[in-house]
Amino acid sequence: MSEDLLFEVGTEELPAGAVEPAVEQLRALVLSGLDGARLGHGAARTFATPRRLAVLVEAVEQRSPDVTRQALGPPVKAAFGPDGSHTKAAIKFAEAQGVTVQALHRVQTPKGEYLAAEVTEPGRAASALLPGLLGAAVHGIEFRKSMRWGEAEQTFARPVQWLLALHGQEVFPVVFADVKSGRMTLGHRFLSPGPHPVARPRDYPGLLERAHVLAEVGRRKERIRTEAAEAARKAGGRIRDDEALLDEVTELVEWPTALLGSFEERHLELPPEVLVQEMTSHQRYFPVVDAGGKLLPRFVAISNTPVRDPALSLRGYERVLRSRLTDGRFFFDEDRKVPLAARVPALERVVWQGKLGTYAEKVGRIRLLAAGLTRAVGRPELLDIVDRAALLAKADLTTGMVGEFPELQGIMGREYALASGEPPPVAQAIADHYLPRGASDPVPADDPGALVGMADRLDTLAGLFALGKPPTASADPFGLRRACLGVVHLVLGRGYRLSLGEAVGQALDGVGKKLGLGAAQVAEARAQLQEFFRGRLRALWADRARADVVEAVLAAGFDDLRQARTRLDAFAQVVGASDFTPLAIAFKRVANIVEKQGSDVSPEPADPRLFQEPSETALAQAARQASAEVHRALAAENAPAALAAARSLKGPVDAFFDQVLVMTDDRPLRENRVRLLREVAQVFAPLADLSRIQAEAAGAP
Amino acid sequence: MTFQELILALQQHWAAQGCILTQAYDVEVGAGTMAPTTFLRALGPEPWNVAYVQPSRRPADGRFGDNPNRLFQHHQLQVILKPSPKDGQALYLDSLKAIGIDPLDHDLRFVEDDWEAPTLGAWGLGWEVWCDGMEITQFTYFQQCGGFECRPVSAELTYGLERIAMYLQNVENVFDVEWVKGVSYGEVFHRNEVEMSTYAFRASDPAVLFALFEIHEKECVRLLAQGLPLPAYEAALKCSHTFNLLDARGAISVTERAGFIKRVRDNARACAKAYLEVRAALGFPLRKTGWTVGQQPPLLEGAPASRVWDTFLAEQKG
Repeated sequence: MSEDLLFEVGTEELPAGAVEPAVEQLRALVLSGLDGARLGHGAARTFATPRRLAVLVEAVEQRSPDVTRQALGPPVKAAFGPDGSHTKAAIKFAEAQGVTVQALHRVQTPKGEYLAAEVTEPGRAASALLPGLLGAAVHGIEFRKSMRWGEAEQTFARPVQWLLALHGQEVFPVVFADVKSGRMTLGHRFLSPGPHPVARPRDYPGLLERAHVLAEVGRRKERIRTEAAEAARKAGGRIRDDEALLDEVTELVEWPTALLGSFEERHLELPPEVLVQEMTSHQRYFPVVDAGGKLLPRFVAISNTPVRDPALSLRGYERVLRSRLTDGRFFFDEDRKVPLAARVPALERVVWQGKLGTYAEKVGRIRLLAAGLTRAVGRPELLDIVDRAALLAKADLTTGMVGEFPELQGIMGREYALASGEPPPVAQAIADHYLPRGASDPVPADDPGALVGMADRLDTLAGLFALGKPPTASADPFGLRRACLGVVHLVLGRGYRLSLGEAVGQALDGVGKKLGLGAAQVAEARAQLQEFFRGRLRALWADRARADVVEAVLAAGFDDLRQARTRLDAFAQVVGASDFTPLAIAFKRVANIVEKQGSDVSPEPADPRLFQEPSETALAQAARQASAEVHRALAAENAPAALAAARSLKGPVDAFFDQVLVMTDDRPLRENRVRLLREVAQVFAPLADLSRIQAEAAGAP
Repeated sequence: MTFQELILALQQHWAAQGCILTQAYDVEVGAGTMAPTTFLRALGPEPWNVAYVQPSRRPADGRFGDNPNRLFQHHQLQVILKPSPKDGQALYLDSLKAIGIDPLDHDLRFVEDDWEAPTLGAWGLGWEVWCDGMEITQFTYFQQCGGFECRPVSAELTYGLERIAMYLQNVENVFDVEWVKGVSYGEVFHRNEVEMSTYAFRASDPAVLFALFEIHEKECVRLLAQGLPLPAYEAALKCSHTFNLLDARGAISVTERAGFIKRVRDNARACAKAYLEVRAALGFPLRKTGWTVGQQPPLLEGAPASRVWDTFLAEQKG
């Protein structure tokens, strides 16, 4: 016997962004609760709006099944007296388990023979299990920010207003703060407030829809998409793609209705980014674009209420945007009265980070660093553009527009640079230096922005690490993880070959001077930053190769990121091949011997005069040849060829181990053989640390 | 609906729910929250339900009366409901009906807004209430005030009166709002904007203001030592306003700024603590009134949050 289960937590309006994670938690908590109570069940569906989180589970059993388990009692030794009768321990155990001593039986365990009892736990009624289980679920939902209300001590993202708990047609009791469950739900706040009784769980979605609540997130999102598209079509355009905005709006409404509004055409003179920001960030309006992606003076707002007179409501929507755009124009006009370069001194009054000083100081460091990077990547002809862009990169922080819309930093810098007559490449670099903003963003299409952006991020990383403020698991206020990945993406995306270590070193010199750090502190920050980069690369490359391969390649160094990546790809290609494991095992053996014995022998290469077997001579020749080839191939960025050269040592190494006893009692011979193996190990050193690769132990000699 | 009718209708609505109407606090504040009728009364276990119009001065927002939307001084209608009632949102929506905003004619929405006032050691969660995309009210459940947990929680409703009036009267410029028939907001307050902006940006004497800040700060500490949190809090508010004036004048450097904010906050927190001690010494007298507004359903889980103050009370007596 089973019935559907419905559990709805009704709330005051939850924050957009909190709704979906919360309902996902509720679903998981309810299902794990059912499973924990061994109540069989069918599929689960979720419903989530700003005012409700609900889960409907089909066919939840009325009763959990009886379960038989074995309880272990005393060891047989202690269970019987000398006369063969049960001891007190055995009798007590049987009593505790609620069985007779006769019902106990013997079981064999790794610790010996024991007495055991078969205990049957009777199943329990769902009506007894559900209240606790669902109570725990609603108490178990966690939010980024929670609050209390009234006299209650319980917390939730916003006050809980009602609980609906139905199993079949039966209400079961769940309590939260000042709310007790019932069979009532509420509809749309204004159109169908209710309360509405729900007879059976399966009635819920239809009942809500009649009460003007489209409670399924996916359907609501599609309704908004369709309605918005339809409205935009009426204006001869389409909605500008913005999935994040669509998701946000979906969590702001229960019953979406699209309204098409317009703004004055003259505002199209504002940079499109400004218009988009004005419409989306505060107002959550969808901008409308033409077939070519150009903004039209229209927008689509999603209302939560199909109002009686849309024109009246629309007047309000348009009016808010009009005053925002008027403000925006005011800032745009005011900001352009001062040339961008004239704003640079004002950065002396803008703090970047307490001890690391103002933005003016940061800009000074960025300029030095960017110049160094420009030379390092071999583009000295760009020095003037890069330096000008670095000087102006942060100047827009003092403008009214960026004060109002921090998200427009860089973009306004570009606009104001152009308006001030700066060369277009400089203007573009100002905007580009913030790219990539996120993981899915492209890197800049030109070098100046990439170089300034790299300098900016390296300065941030060096500064915070030098201050001893690396990010923690939960807090990364300066976005250091993103900055680190940004540097990696810039280097790889722009195809730069440069020494990461030197770049980091230069950045640390800059902040070290500001902080008055000694050489030891700088060295420590440098080591920490190196590890930080390693950690980010490990995460970034997790989908490129097996974790142990990534580790092995990183262990051989990543100063040249591009080269490191080609090595990784070369290894990822061969690591699955059937002949790779024996190779790895052979070289592990080499590495082990070198690690154990290598420190006792002289650092010189092996001495050919001490070779006794032909396989020694052959291995020495092969190693020297392979070493030269590895270096040549790596310099030519041909990691596969380098790897192939190193792999060619497999035969000579095997022959060597077959014919030669390394650990001979003859000390000069032994030391010479260790020296030879060290040469072999060094062939691989620039490629990867093979000892970190997990090779099957089976088959190892 | 004139500006005056708007105020009267909102006051009438909240009075009918059982709120007392107090008059605006007569010390300069930047927001209704800073008046002791909110900041201090939100502390401790005593019930408190109040509505008042608070002229709010924000020197840096002054625009010499030239900007249609920004003012040196605007007016907030501030409501505190403590403990926050179960039907707080419904009571609020009724107030909108009282001023002619019908939820079937307008898109009314509660949109997440986290509120924090570092200078008061206060924060809360709630919403900005939107009417057709425009923010008309802030609705906040206070969680902490003066560094103390709010038990019980107060609901704070702050109506931006000028903005609502502009909307209701469909005017684009705040100075065109009709205060009463035939008299505009501009005729009442434009000159005030011109002079106050001139004062804040040009005519104020930073040396005098710095001196005043020091005087008020010392006065706050001195009065606290005498067990007088109410006058001490006035002094703390004067520090806060003086800081805002100095800030608008550009007289406070970046490096000094955080220090000044901390000095204001330290005093506000000390006032909050002293206020609680005085109320405890009086035995939290308003508790006996059983004064509530809106629905207050009994708790089904745990003890009422305000119980924690019994411990505080015992400690004060001990």
